[in-house]
Amino acid sequence: MRPSRAAYPIRWRVMDILEQVAGKLWPRSFSAGLPYLMLLPALLLVGVLVWGLVEIGDSSLRTLDTSTFLMSENYTLANYQRALSERFFTTVAGRSLMGSLIVTVVTLIFAFPYSYLMVRTQSSALRKFLLVALFLPFFIGQVVRAYGWLIILGNQGMVNEALGLVGVTPIRLLYNYPAVLFGLVQYMLPFAVLMLAPAMTAIPAELESAASSLGANWISSFRHIVLPLSKPGLVGAGLVVFTLSLTDFAIPAILGGGSQDFIANAIYDQFFRTSDQGMGATLSLLLVAVGSILVGLVFMVFGAGTLAMGGDRK
Amino acid sequence: MTGSLSKSIVIWTFVIASLVMLSAPTIVVLGASFTAGNMITFPPEGLSLKWYAAISQASGLRQAFFRSLYVATICTLIAIPVGTLAGIALAKYRVRFGHGIQIYLLLPFTIPLIGSGIGMMLAFGNAGLAGQLWPLGVACAVINLPFMIWAVTASASNLSPDLELAAANCGAPPLQRFLYITLPAVMPGIITGSLLMFILALNEFLVSLLLVDARNVTLPVQIYNSIRSIITPDLAAISVVFIACAAIAIAVLDRLVGLDVFLKSK
Repeated sequence: MRPSRAAYPIRWRVMDILEQVAGKLWPRSFSAGLPYLMLLPALLLVGVLVWGLVEIGDSSLRTLDTSTFLMSENYTLANYQRALSERFFTTVAGRSLMGSLIVTVVTLIFAFPYSYLMVRTQSSALRKFLLVALFLPFFIGQVVRAYGWLIILGNQGMVNEALGLVGVTPIRLLYNYPAVLFGLVQYMLPFAVLMLAPAMTAIPAELESAASSLGANWISSFRHIVLPLSKPGLVGAGLVVFTLSLTDFAIPAILGGGSQDFIANAIYDQFFRTSDQGMGATLSLLLVAVGSILVGLVFMVFGAGTLAMGGDRK
Repeated sequence: MTGSLSKSIVIWTFVIASLVMLSAPTIVVLGASFTAGNMITFPPEGLSLKWYAAISQASGLRQAFFRSLYVATICTLIAIPVGTLAGIALAKYRVRFGHGIQIYLLLPFTIPLIGSGIGMMLAFGNAGLAGQLWPLGVACAVINLPFMIWAVTASASNLSPDLELAAANCGAPPLQRFLYITLPAVMPGIITGSLLMFILALNEFLVSLLLVDARNVTLPVQIYNSIRSIITPDLAAISVVFIACAAIAIAVLDRLVGLDVFLKSK
């Protein structure tokens, strides 16, 4: 029997045992359930979020008793009434909505030529350079980037020091609304370009050549060809940029210096400054609702495959 | 590019403005970390490595960095099996309610980060897990899971089902088919996805801020707390760690899948 032992190495034996165990645990007759078994861990992991949402919903229905600083036992809708009527919250919401709208428009204006050049350029070195310039800030994280802007724009920052060298008195560049909007635009730029680029790739370059051979100058070929054909990309990128700016925390907190709070900052303050958990939860839930409606719009426009998960088999 | 000079001028103006916006903070942080002065000034007061020496001594920053590494490692270790199995299942099988399951699995992207963070803060708080570090790893895995699933599905849909049928025809039982055919085929996706998960968890700020307590902060939160008081060059030096990690991640990503995949139209 020696030769056969040599021909049947230990690894195969291990595999056989594993195979048998797998067969016992999950017999062939269950095979229709296999994909669900494989999906189960992911479903459970995302379930943590659902659990969190339920907790938020529960908290949002309880008010803070200011005499005992405890949450009320019974459910009420008082927090929602306050959130929608109190001046402070509507101001913050208005500031965030207005800001996100401006940020979206400005970001798209910059992202459009960037992704056009990135897609159309003949030089693969330039394309790679543009891609790396996009990904590097994306991977560095918001805090470090905001820190860089503090160094550049601060009262003793680079811009003011440079202005000082030519005799201009320092200008307050930080901790105001434009600073926050500027910070958001540069934070959103990579997202917008990466969402626009596939739409741009789908536009054949020949269309533009055809237009110019028919006498269109580049402005009208942009207006009548590139712009309309990249509309799905523009809508998608716009919605994503709008949602992300509306819900951002770090940029308003760091570049706004506490005076330019967005909704996320107001939520944070409700939890950690005012300790009004119910109010914070209410605001979170309202923001989740608005955010989900916006992303739901993306899905309706492009289908759920937009974010490129799953089953489009060729 | 085809077109006139004026077109090139307009496009390049916007692109250069964008490039400055994108790169200025990175370049400035890099430059500031090498300053010889005690303050960040412009023009710099000469070059030195003293702030790097300073951060290697600062135990607070070092511990915060190790906490971030720990969180990122837990996040990646959870995301790899969970995301890989889900990604393969979504790409390979026609699942009943597949559409609904996909929308459900995209919840981490559809729920704003502040909402997810607050929700998990309340949930973990009620479960008595508040203040510990490993739940933050779980939280990071949850919020970025779609990236992992996306990366795996993208490479799994390139795998021809005939390969597995051929293996089965040759007598390979299911587990062997999975280990020797399916898994190697989706390996590039797994590596891309885990790289994304690791780097995003390393940088995760908002959810860290909500889930950890003051004694247990991760590096982004530590930097955030410090820049609100005074801006010193040692923070620039520690930020360079993030820049280096990002640069390595991009280089690996480019080698493995090529950055150009992000330009493909569907």
